[in-house]
Amino acid sequence: MKGPGGVPFPGPTLNLSLDKEWIVRRARRVTPLVLALALGFGATQASAQGYWTHEQLGSELRSLANSSDRASLAEIGTSRDGRAIWLVTLASPGGDPADSRPGVLVVGNLEGDHLLGSTLAVEAMRYLLEADGQDEGATRLLAENVVYVVPRLNPDGAEAFFAATRWDRRTNAAGYDDDNDGRVDEDGPDDLNGDGVATVMRVADPAGAFMVHPDAPRLMKRADPASGEAGTHALYWEGRDDDGDGFYNEDAPGGVDLNRNFQHAYPYWEADAGVHMVSEPESRALMDFVVGHRNIAAILTFGHTDNLVTPPDARGGLTGARTLDLPAYASASLEDVFDVGVFRAGGGRGGFGFFGGGPRLRGAQPGRDNDPNAGRRPSNTVHRSDVDYFATVSEAYRELTGIESVGIHRDPEGAFFQFGYFQFGVPSFSTPGWGMPAAPSEEGEAAPARGGGNGPLDLQFLTGLEGMGVDAFVDWTPYTHPTLGEVEIGGFRPYVTTNPPVEALAELGESHGRFLAHLGGMLPRLRFVDTEVTAHGGGLFTVEATIENAGYFPSALQHGVVARAVDPLTVQIQVDPDDIVTGDDKSATVQRLEGSGMRHTFSWVIRGNAGDRVEIRMRSQKGGSDTATVRLGGDR
Amino acid sequence: MIAGTSAMAPNRGPRTMRTFATLAVTAILTLAAPAWTSVAAQQRGSDPEHRLPLTWDRWLDHDEIGEWMQLMAETWPEFLSLQSLGESYGGREMWLMTINNPATGGELDKAAMFIEANVHGNEIQGAEVVLYTIWYLMENYDRIPDVRRMVDERVFYLLPSVNPDGRDYFLDGTGSGARTGHIPVDSDGDGLFDEDGPDDLNGNGVIEQIRKYVPGQGDFRISHDDPRIMEPVPPGEVGDWVLLGSEGLDNDGDGRVNEDPVGGYDPNRNYGSDWQPNYIQGGSMDYPFQLPEARAINDFMMTRPNIAGFQSFHNSGGMILRGPGMAWYGDYPPADIRVYDELGENGERILPYYNYYVIWQGLYTVHGGSIDWTNDGLGIVSFSNELWNGGQYFNSPLLQEQQQDPDSPISGQRSRFFFDDFLEFGDQYVEWAPFDHPEYGDVEMGGWKKLSGRVNPRFLSMELFHRNMAFTLYHADQMPLMSMGEASVERVSGDVWRVRVPIRNERLIPTITEKARQNRVVRPDILSVEGNVEIITAGWVQDIHRPGPTDRVDQAELDRILVRSGAPGRTTRVIEYLVRGSGAMIVEYDSQKGGTVRTRVQLR
Repeated sequence: MKGPGGVPFPGPTLNLSLDKEWIVRRARRVTPLVLALALGFGATQASAQGYWTHEQLGSELRSLANSSDRASLAEIGTSRDGRAIWLVTLASPGGDPADSRPGVLVVGNLEGDHLLGSTLAVEAMRYLLEADGQDEGATRLLAENVVYVVPRLNPDGAEAFFAATRWDRRTNAAGYDDDNDGRVDEDGPDDLNGDGVATVMRVADPAGAFMVHPDAPRLMKRADPASGEAGTHALYWEGRDDDGDGFYNEDAPGGVDLNRNFQHAYPYWEADAGVHMVSEPESRALMDFVVGHRNIAAILTFGHTDNLVTPPDARGGLTGARTLDLPAYASASLEDVFDVGVFRAGGGRGGFGFFGGGPRLRGAQPGRDNDPNAGRRPSNTVHRSDVDYFATVSEAYRELTGIESVGIHRDPEGAFFQFGYFQFGVPSFSTPGWGMPAAPSEEGEAAPARGGGNGPLDLQFLTGLEGMGVDAFVDWTPYTHPTLGEVEIGGFRPYVTTNPPVEALAELGESHGRFLAHLGGMLPRLRFVDTEVTAHGGGLFTVEATIENAGYFPSALQHGVVARAVDPLTVQIQVDPDDIVTGDDKSATVQRLEGSGMRHTFSWVIRGNAGDRVEIRMRSQKGGSDTATVRLGGDR
Repeated sequence: MIAGTSAMAPNRGPRTMRTFATLAVTAILTLAAPAWTSVAAQQRGSDPEHRLPLTWDRWLDHDEIGEWMQLMAETWPEFLSLQSLGESYGGREMWLMTINNPATGGELDKAAMFIEANVHGNEIQGAEVVLYTIWYLMENYDRIPDVRRMVDERVFYLLPSVNPDGRDYFLDGTGSGARTGHIPVDSDGDGLFDEDGPDDLNGNGVIEQIRKYVPGQGDFRISHDDPRIMEPVPPGEVGDWVLLGSEGLDNDGDGRVNEDPVGGYDPNRNYGSDWQPNYIQGGSMDYPFQLPEARAINDFMMTRPNIAGFQSFHNSGGMILRGPGMAWYGDYPPADIRVYDELGENGERILPYYNYYVIWQGLYTVHGGSIDWTNDGLGIVSFSNELWNGGQYFNSPLLQEQQQDPDSPISGQRSRFFFDDFLEFGDQYVEWAPFDHPEYGDVEMGGWKKLSGRVNPRFLSMELFHRNMAFTLYHADQMPLMSMGEASVERVSGDVWRVRVPIRNERLIPTITEKARQNRVVRPDILSVEGNVEIITAGWVQDIHRPGPTDRVDQAELDRILVRSGAPGRTTRVIEYLVRGSGAMIVEYDSQKGGTVRTRVQLR
């Protein structure tokens, strides 16, 4: 493992931090789950295999907390529907109080349909507790640091996984008028053909924009007139036009996608993003917890966004989203919903008003801004000084989990992990938690043509999932629709594209536990390593104190400094300010001290009496606190 | 009155109980005061007596504001209701008065004007403008027809102090650094909160400036114009004085003075539109509506979609500000700007010395300010007036010309001293006086008091209150007001009829601003039909004076037409239905911000 600039760093490495024998022993003990049923056969079966209802998750967490004096269970809030939002705190007893130790925060299941996140969070905790005392990294993590885990931020959304009619529901339980027509949640998906899932309808329609995919008859593609293709089908989400407005499923139950409700790159005014940032009880509970725990020094989230498998590039940008075409085509049937009812005011149009021409507008004049800071905009790329840290963590993630390429992931607008870096200023990560299903793919098929709509990702995904034995697709079957007439219903089975089959969970849980232990080992660890007193005679002394960061991460990422999100490293010498003759201030600060063993020395020339003891305190918000005491030596 | 008082005070905390106790005493005194009873008994001259004789030449702290509002609520119970939106961080009730005449309709059925003030603790005088507004509307309801009409047509929500903690800190304390709210913030990044603010060392209630005499080593000197004025020495010269900042100590022993005072954020940067993190917008806190005060107001407003006008009073500078607060996203849509321009330009006529500006251009860039949120996120036409303009100290063209003359005693810094000497009788200034500072040694302390500068002199309050109220009443009067003209019915054939209904917004502001439509934050207006009819087509008449097709309404539900673009201001539109049926049909136009109107049409 290499630090920034290719220099090996003395922090924990994969080889050093793991007791290999123990890993092998543990691996033998974890029996692979034997599964009779693949995911998707029904809620009850699925839940028993590692995707948990709120109640089941609760008992998992309670048994975890009851089994160990290093785990405690609490609630940080309550969901819209009154379910607890749980927090498990992992910290070995003794030492500093947990909340004053630098820590890692893990959050899962922000998106309602990402139940995998809850499972990974719980399994990772289990791993840490078992590895404590066995694995060096995990042991130190629990002893010197703290791990906060919120396994399921969106319990109401997750519960839809177990509903009688299943569809990929991402939102929480906020009632929201998605189509702004004065009626709330009035037109959601319906399971028309009674197969337990709501999927997609395709309708033969010469005016439609879509056609059956020539290479994969189960999939659809957008017809390309430039290639001589004409549309043959229209696509909709499965359901009735419950409110008779001409649209199908334009206002489904539920409101806010919590991982689009946070403060960085927030998608303003979009229906699933909430009425404003942090508008939901769930997101607010998490935010209040985070801003009240400035000791959080790194964040790991599980969700539909990725910066772990593919880290930010050299310029700090994330890769573009990869999403499936078929669901996007169905959603396209709702694109016009907000155009209905727009009647332009102006001359004529039955009106005789004062609009129509009108006086010259007295708007602001561009270029006459009197605020010198007006041009400053929030960063939207990872700072170049921080990029290598993300790359290193990504390398470790891929090595430990074996995940080399991510399946579907979306642009992280308003995602919590982005807040973690861009506003909270700490290393902050997101991963879907499982890889692109391995598919027998042909050469050159990997890169999906963006906007071309030829569906290679859909095909790759489908083949991959089916290669894993997942019943991933509901075959198109005819149905007589009350308003559309003869249709066919089919498409990706809900949840299969966002949650791996349960067979994969044991291994994914363990490898994410290993990664979490590794990430914990990278936290900044700042301590006094050396002090020195030089007596100059006449009651004058030079006092020097050296601090080392033995962790991997710096005491503050560069962006943490830029964003003023992380307090500077502060060292304070406990003498009267009047007794400091020269050198550092009484309270001396350094914006950041890089890790991997980098050091910084503070120095004061003070007046004092030989034999006096002088205390020097240091505080690093993300790297811990320490105290050193020096004794002023005798006169020369 | 006392019984009424206690009946309105259930479940309130100790602080409030104190308020009500004081209130009861005030009420008794007010009633018993001979001046009051005698004036009430025998009116002199033609001016009407006041039902509630309040005085407008003093600044009220939070308790007094609560007492006055209680008095008003008891004096005019048929119109006024008093509630608390919640508690501030410091546990003070956020008093809100609702003015509504129930005889003319329910609260949510009429457009409402929300008027707030004092979000910055030191910007106090807006609270008195708000109180004056309540008082004026009530005192004159029976006397001035336009006042009666406005009260009858509209609802008013009046919140005198958004930041009562800051207000009391300003008025009851030294007032130094009172802009902020009072949630402790670690301003110096040392892990401690609000541990080192200014200290009133000489106990005179004023945080003064400190100067130290250092012959030949300073960078300041005493002005020849006035020995009270300190001026920086020109480059290359030395002065005899240094300025050592505000009165205070190194309370936490970290070697720095006054580096972490109370609070340390801007309560008007915590709203939900264009909110930016602290490094882009200082003082914005961690996320929008994190502050209990901003949150309480927003929670209330979210349940009142009828709010169509918003005013937030600040000080100072004499401005009528509209959004946007920053330039990045461009200006408002032209249709909205036309509305703002008309209101703002008339505002400049109502308020001499005030300029109508866009915030980022006329003031400075503001991210996450309240009126950006109310405009963008709630679809409310919103202004923020910066009360009081220093030009009003010498408010004649002649004097202002004289101020340009550097030799005039009212030029530059001298003007402030002149005004204080001759019009305030020296009340606003503390003379420099020696002080033995524990850390700086022998120094002098002195300077302006808190009320000087941004708060208008008390004797000029009435005009400021009235003119600003007049502007907000004009703004309120221009909120949308829907009406329906007489319907026309024409038989096409058999039982098929052509029905035309004129739908009008009487006032300037549209029912849905273009910004609100774009952001989808206001429910569309809904044009609906009830009755035993089948609607064959519906369309907007293009020109009532010419034949020709209507603009067809292409919607699936013609008995419930969505009008996402709302009803533009001062415009009549005519909807035409072709219907089959008989008897009567009821046509209703339901808007959240302009009320609901309906007409009954007989098909014959």
